[in-house]
Amino acid sequence: MSVLRERVTWVWLGLMALTCITTWGLSKDLFSPAVAVVGIFLIAAVKVRYVMLDFMELRQAPPPVRAAFEAWPAVVAAVILGFWFATPAIM
Amino acid sequence: MATHAEPTIVTPARGLSPYPTDYKTWKILAWTGPVFLAAVFGLWGLVARNMPPFPASATPDEVKAHFQEFRLPLLIALSICVTMTAFYMSFSVAVARVMERIEGPGGLLSKLEMMGGTITCAPVMVTLAIWLTAAHEVNNLPPEIMHMLYWMGWLLFDLAYFVTSMQIAACSIVFMRDKRDKKLVPNAVSWWGWVTFASFFAVSAIPFVTTGPLAFNGVISFWIAFFTWFFWIPSLSYFIIKAVDRIKAEDEAAGLVNA
Amino acid sequence: MSTLSCVGVVTTDRVQPRRLPGVDGVWVFIGADSVIFAILFLTYMQDRLKNPALFEASRHTLNTTLGGIDTLILLTSSWSVALAIQALKRDFIERVPRYLLGGVVTGLMFVGSKSIEYFQKFAHGLTPGTNPFYMWYFTLTGIHLAHVLVGTSLLAFLWVRSRSGAFSSSHRAVPESVASFWHLVDLLWIVLFPLLYLMKAA
Repeated sequence: MSVLRERVTWVWLGLMALTCITTWGLSKDLFSPAVAVVGIFLIAAVKVRYVMLDFMELRQAPPPVRAAFEAWPAVVAAVILGFWFATPAIM
Repeated sequence: MATHAEPTIVTPARGLSPYPTDYKTWKILAWTGPVFLAAVFGLWGLVARNMPPFPASATPDEVKAHFQEFRLPLLIALSICVTMTAFYMSFSVAVARVMERIEGPGGLLSKLEMMGGTITCAPVMVTLAIWLTAAHEVNNLPPEIMHMLYWMGWLLFDLAYFVTSMQIAACSIVFMRDKRDKKLVPNAVSWWGWVTFASFFAVSAIPFVTTGPLAFNGVISFWIAFFTWFFWIPSLSYFIIKAVDRIKAEDEAAGLVNA
Repeated sequence: MSTLSCVGVVTTDRVQPRRLPGVDGVWVFIGADSVIFAILFLTYMQDRLKNPALFEASRHTLNTTLGGIDTLILLTSSWSVALAIQALKRDFIERVPRYLLGGVVTGLMFVGSKSIEYFQKFAHGLTPGTNPFYMWYFTLTGIHLAHVLVGTSLLAFLWVRSRSGAFSSSHRAVPESVASFWHLVDLLWIVLFPLLYLMKAA
């Protein structure tokens, strides 16, 4: 079993890269708040999805269960962003 | 050569109680679970205005004003609720007997469940009676005493959670051990019991906060903690009621009805 | 004379039955936990809506670098545990303990990091009672931390048992269940971190 050839390893590398992008890239001031927040949460939703499909192995789960779980990051991101846009700007 | 008849040793089936089983009463007791929930939800929850509860951050004057405004619905709802809380005890007895069929009649966990469910009635009844008293006496009491009575109720109602936790844990453990192909109570309900068990611990924070998610009217201490339990009762009740019929059928098939 | 027809073995790799890892019931727990946290995220945003300036000012006191490192730690932990399950499925039994240990060690690193963060806050006089943001920060990260502690303990238990060969491809329901719970703990932090630390105000 070669660790480097495992799917989970590639997924992990991708997740680590995305984390660096959001934490030390998108959060910097060169992006407007809207771009930063939308970008960060879309990336977070994608990360959650990969953890669910490849770490939790939901790719092989019965379709209704997989669908229910995949809906979670989508709904959570949508609700969070919805509230963010509804929140007044601060001076 | 002397022959003597071997004394017939009757080995009772381990899962059967050593006394006659009254399936009809058993089923009635099982039904008191949903009756209890309907009473608490409808009367305490809705009529007595506890969904959500009046805030933990309310001042003494605000508490008094609230009890004055809703005095009559509170008197009606809370008084009936105090009486109907007893149905949680009767429900617990029905559940315990189903557990005994899995654990064996001498089992510890069925006793723990019955005690847990019965003792849960105590903080509930006393709390409702405290709030009933507050409503009854509101026009004779200063705001500080009203505030105290309101808090006394919540602290008792909420912090006694662990008796209920033990009841739920006992149920989940025994029902998950059921060896039937199709368990009397499905694993999903037992696992929901564990969700409920876990959700109660956060409630210990209520003495220390008056706002936010952990306050007694907050999203964690009220909405999540209460609704996990509110969902556990009917889902368990459904399977307990069905279990009585299933057990009766099993007894009939084994020729052991009312053995 | 009997002719034995050799039937090719249908490899199960291609025809995989749809299944959930571990015991079914644990997915009720995972599902409920996910929904509960989603409700908490929603309620947090509701409270933030009422006072965005306060939330933004308080957010600035959080250590984003430490939070980002925490995310990297948990992702690595999940990866290690996922490797353990892959090894288990293919009966590389001798490799399983080290991957589980990796999960335990990274779990403990997260606990250590969080503890440092909390002590830093307390040292600056910031407690759950300071303002609504801090109430949410300590409550959300605290409940998450409780999950990390439970998960790490379970992984440690698995590590001990795996060293005596308790688990194999035909005995993997318990490790899979714990692993699934651990991935939940990971994905909750993936949302929690940006929610509390990175979400700048408009």
